[in-house]
Amino acid sequence: MAVLDRRSARPASPVGRRPGARGSSDVVRLLPALLVTVVLFGGALVGAVKQSVEPPLGGAVSTWSLDSWRAMFSDPGFWDALRFSTQLALIASLASAGIALLAATWLRSRGRGLKTIFSVPVTVPHLLVAVVAVSWLAPGGIADRALGSLPIGIVHARSGLGIILVYVYKETPFLVLLLLAVMGRTLRRREEAAAVLGASPGQVLRWVVWPAVRRPLLIGTMIVAAFVFGAFEVPLLLGPNYPPTLATYAFQATQASALSGQGKAAASLLVAAGASVVIGFAIMRLARAGDD
Amino acid sequence: MTERRIGRWVGATAIVLFAAPLAVLVVQAFAEVWRYPALLPQQLGLRGFRVAFGSGDAGRATVDSLEVAVTTTALATVIAWPAARALARSHGPRRTAVLMVLALPLLVPPFATGTGLAEWFIRLGLADTRLGLVLAHLTVVLPYVLLVLIPAFSPRVIELEEMARSLGTGPVRRLLLVTLPSTGAVVAAAALLGFLVSWSQYGSSLAVGGGLPMLPLTLLPFVGADPTVAAALSLLFLVPAILALALASRGTREAL
Repeated sequence: MAVLDRRSARPASPVGRRPGARGSSDVVRLLPALLVTVVLFGGALVGAVKQSVEPPLGGAVSTWSLDSWRAMFSDPGFWDALRFSTQLALIASLASAGIALLAATWLRSRGRGLKTIFSVPVTVPHLLVAVVAVSWLAPGGIADRALGSLPIGIVHARSGLGIILVYVYKETPFLVLLLLAVMGRTLRRREEAAAVLGASPGQVLRWVVWPAVRRPLLIGTMIVAAFVFGAFEVPLLLGPNYPPTLATYAFQATQASALSGQGKAAASLLVAAGASVVIGFAIMRLARAGDD
Repeated sequence: MTERRIGRWVGATAIVLFAAPLAVLVVQAFAEVWRYPALLPQQLGLRGFRVAFGSGDAGRATVDSLEVAVTTTALATVIAWPAARALARSHGPRRTAVLMVLALPLLVPPFATGTGLAEWFIRLGLADTRLGLVLAHLTVVLPYVLLVLIPAFSPRVIELEEMARSLGTGPVRRLLLVTLPSTGAVVAAAALLGFLVSWSQYGSSLAVGGGLPMLPLTLLPFVGADPTVAAALSLLFLVPAILALALASRGTREAL
């Protein structure tokens, strides 16, 4: 329902705007979102900090202590969880990025149907992918029935292979979509222009395609890494008994002891949250540095 | 010719890899008896759905999950809309800082956010309530919706709005006749994503609303214990995702 023909509707310059009005109205526009984020998300972080330094069932005694943090840091299980989460995040995000780059390069000149098929997993919840992975890959699953037995353990494997597969399946298409969004007609025209000017295919890739895809690829990979780092329900279903991820470590802490576990759980979740934030900032800076 | 054949081959592989695994859910959901090592079930039936809707209480969980997801998505879209407009046309370090703050909840594990919120929600009487769940989901969903919405407000859309304004079109007509038609596809995509993120929240729901089980919470315990019931619940879980995708792709086509 196009009311105006977009091509002809192009005023020479924006009109009817008071100078200086934009800055303040932008603040008003941002306010609701900032308020939600600061109150709810900020409140959540404060709540987690409070839980981690509070004696169990606090209130009666208004003291605080670092006992939960100390207990967590002296627990080898925590360090194993930290290592496991880091390892999963690195492997899953790099694998997704590599496959996505190849897939997007191949898919960009294909039809819409193929692109749609590749984007199916984006809409499928992680939990469902994990359920499907269990049906196919768990001992006694479809793959076992079809092949006799699987050569390597996937579901509940100590390597975390099941978790990695689920995230690669889920996140590769997400990265492909991000990449395809910048690999459109404009980029193709620039590639052609470079080729006409005598650039070799390698040079086109290095100086035209790579600068265009680098930023979305980095930002996408950052998001994927942070996601996997905080993995919770997928390792609950597909992870090994030990080690846990940081989030499942926190969950186990609350299950093990409803009282003293809360503080330890909150502390380990804060570590997970802090690491995700650091990943975010690091790659954001990296991506911005590439623009200059 | 060869290129075409390769394309077809890769396409078929893609379907097998991406779409076919989901088909097993359908078989599993109706499998009454499926003994190892048979490749197909020995007996089909509706036990999975009977248990899911009986002791699993799937009906209520579905309605609750839908209500929470729809409310969360609506709130997130309304809140993200003006913010996306402001961010779309600003530049510089202040924009990056604001964007980073608004995007942060996306990177932090929802179970962490939920656990922190539960600390307050228990005191405020919001734990195990729909409002509590909506607020927890909103924290997680808002950055997704916002990030998808930002590109909607391209310079061209702003130009069109300016033109309509200079022609004397009022704000409501401008929104209905200019802004919405030209941003519809992106808004649909943002809402779709928001809905799906809320619909599939596990960690935050468990932390603030364990007593009011959403569908993902209902599903998880069955996965190891009873694959047939788990598959039946999974199909239920998949339906809105497919519907939302169909709706959004229709929206995209109409907008084009």
